[in-house]
Amino acid sequence: MSSAMDQAAEAQGAATGKDPIIRVEGLRKSFGSLEVLKDINFEVKPGEVVSIIGASGSGKSTLLRCLNLLEEPDAGHVWFHGKDLTEERTNLNELRTHIGMVFQSFNLFANKTVLANCTHAPVLLHKMSKDQAEKVAHEELSRVGMDQFANAGVTQLSGGQKQRVAIARALCMSPEIMLFDEPTSALDPEIVGEVLNVIRELAEAGMTMVIVTHEMEFARGVSDRVIFMDGGVILEEGDPEQMFTHPREARTREFLARYLDE
Amino acid sequence: MSDGNEDKKGFFRRVGAFVARDHRFVFLGTDAFAAFGMWLLMMGYAQGGAPAVDLVAAAICGVWIVASLIPGIYKLTHWAAYEKSSPFVSDRALRPIRILSYVVWLAVVEIMFDVIVLGVVRAWIEATSLTSNPSDFLLSTFYMLDASSGIILHGITVTIELAFFGTIIAFLLALLLVFLRIQKIDRSDNYLLRFFKSLGSGFARFYSTIIRGTPMMVQGLIIYYAGFSVVKSSGLSINETQQVWSFFTSGLVTLSLCSAAYMAEVLRASIEAIDTGQLEAARSLGLTQWQAMRTIVFPQGVRNAMPAISNELIINIKDSSVLSVVGVFDLMYATTSIAGIYFRQMELYVAAALIYLVLTGVASKLLNMISAHMHMQTRNVLSTASDNATVLNEELIAHE
Repeated sequence: MSSAMDQAAEAQGAATGKDPIIRVEGLRKSFGSLEVLKDINFEVKPGEVVSIIGASGSGKSTLLRCLNLLEEPDAGHVWFHGKDLTEERTNLNELRTHIGMVFQSFNLFANKTVLANCTHAPVLLHKMSKDQAEKVAHEELSRVGMDQFANAGVTQLSGGQKQRVAIARALCMSPEIMLFDEPTSALDPEIVGEVLNVIRELAEAGMTMVIVTHEMEFARGVSDRVIFMDGGVILEEGDPEQMFTHPREARTREFLARYLDE
Repeated sequence: MSDGNEDKKGFFRRVGAFVARDHRFVFLGTDAFAAFGMWLLMMGYAQGGAPAVDLVAAAICGVWIVASLIPGIYKLTHWAAYEKSSPFVSDRALRPIRILSYVVWLAVVEIMFDVIVLGVVRAWIEATSLTSNPSDFLLSTFYMLDASSGIILHGITVTIELAFFGTIIAFLLALLLVFLRIQKIDRSDNYLLRFFKSLGSGFARFYSTIIRGTPMMVQGLIIYYAGFSVVKSSGLSINETQQVWSFFTSGLVTLSLCSAAYMAEVLRASIEAIDTGQLEAARSLGLTQWQAMRTIVFPQGVRNAMPAISNELIINIKDSSVLSVVGVFDLMYATTSIAGIYFRQMELYVAAALIYLVLTGVASKLLNMISAHMHMQTRNVLSTASDNATVLNEELIAHE
């Protein structure tokens, strides 16, 4: 029944074209006495690429982790296709299968090969048969240029290779939206490019994405919309060109100046 | 090169240098070893009757010691010019001297083999032909071991069975305990599930506290008598009860329950040491908490805990001795019984210690071989994979 509802929601979304995939309303989160998110509101429409930038500790990673409820917010709502993730009775695990996530530290399953990393969830959650899942996995691995490593263990891969596999793993669930949590922050400068290229290609293919990143040039080039966060609030939001060339807020200007100088 | 000034240095200094320098290996080292061989022969055949081979070997040692005095005295008297004038340091002389020293070493090894290895065999043969317990330590030990070999072997078997099966059962119990212990309440859980999860986790914690906080000997006694009265209350006679709830059964239960608590702690520690990112990645894909734990976190934790878990087998071989107090017929019980029969404690407890040492030694050797084998296998898989990876990387680079 829930999948039927899904399809209905999808159909509706496709019909109007502008129904948001994710809508965040009044989101608040504190760690102890530290208030990390203070009343966040925003939405992501289908096909949109949204980058979240901001200084360390501004709450951008926490916000991203709230979108699939890896971090449970204290107040507010996260709507996925009109279903409230924060509602206790929502089947969170089912909704998460539609939301892909890529982590800063890759988090590939250390006890599985590259291929098994990609097929594990689709097979276990009965989305596909093993053969079908492997076929999809090979396709997604080719897409990120990692199919030659399908049978390798994950420990021998370089950081960039691991992150590309992590992206393929998320794609194998054919998610409607991908969340990237600083996907290149743990990588050596010279291999950042290979991961950013994969993400850029995904964006060009029309994938809906939310990217938390410190790569300003990349965010500027790939995004439809940029969100600047500071001190747990969305300070500025808008078109990347406008934001990078004529930021409205003084704090944004200060932040961007530091990056663009480098 | 020694220069003329060394002449004037003190005599003791000269002797010290003599001992520390070129004489120490070929001459002095072999002297010491030869003296040890002769001493060993004297100890081994205190009443005489040494075989001719040994006497020849001892004679070689003696001749070497006397002969080595000649270069020694020569060196002390011709200190300054020794290296130039001595006939013992030329290349032509050093080679035969070295070869002769090997002959002496061989002679000493022969004496060691005869006195120690064959000596033990001879003592065993002699001891087993005796009709009463001799006073000699070694002979008496062998005599008692031979006379009660059935009991000893039975004890060894029971000890091995207890440790082996106890460790396996304990491992399964520990998996269950740690499963209960690490249950975390998920937001989608209903109240019944929440209740059972906290109950299970609380039980595992309580169990671990009780078992690890009390001695296994006390646990063994409580479990034996508690089990005995439970079984007996079903209307069996004392004899029947003893057959159903034997000392061995109660001992195995005690060892398994006790070892399980320690293993569960080891498992819990290694499961908690797994990076939380593994769990988060699994949950982000839509796996439930249980699916993520079962397929991703658990296998990695158990694998990391394997060395510590297999160490429990060795601990259990030794610690099962405590159960002899309850009445379990293990190696310790057998030893104590025989010691009581002959009233010769020292000999038998030393023998028991050596048997335990052999058992734990063999067990740890076997476990090392198994883990090395497993490690080898994984390393083979990894190395071939990484070789491929390097090749592929190079190909990619070449391609670009």
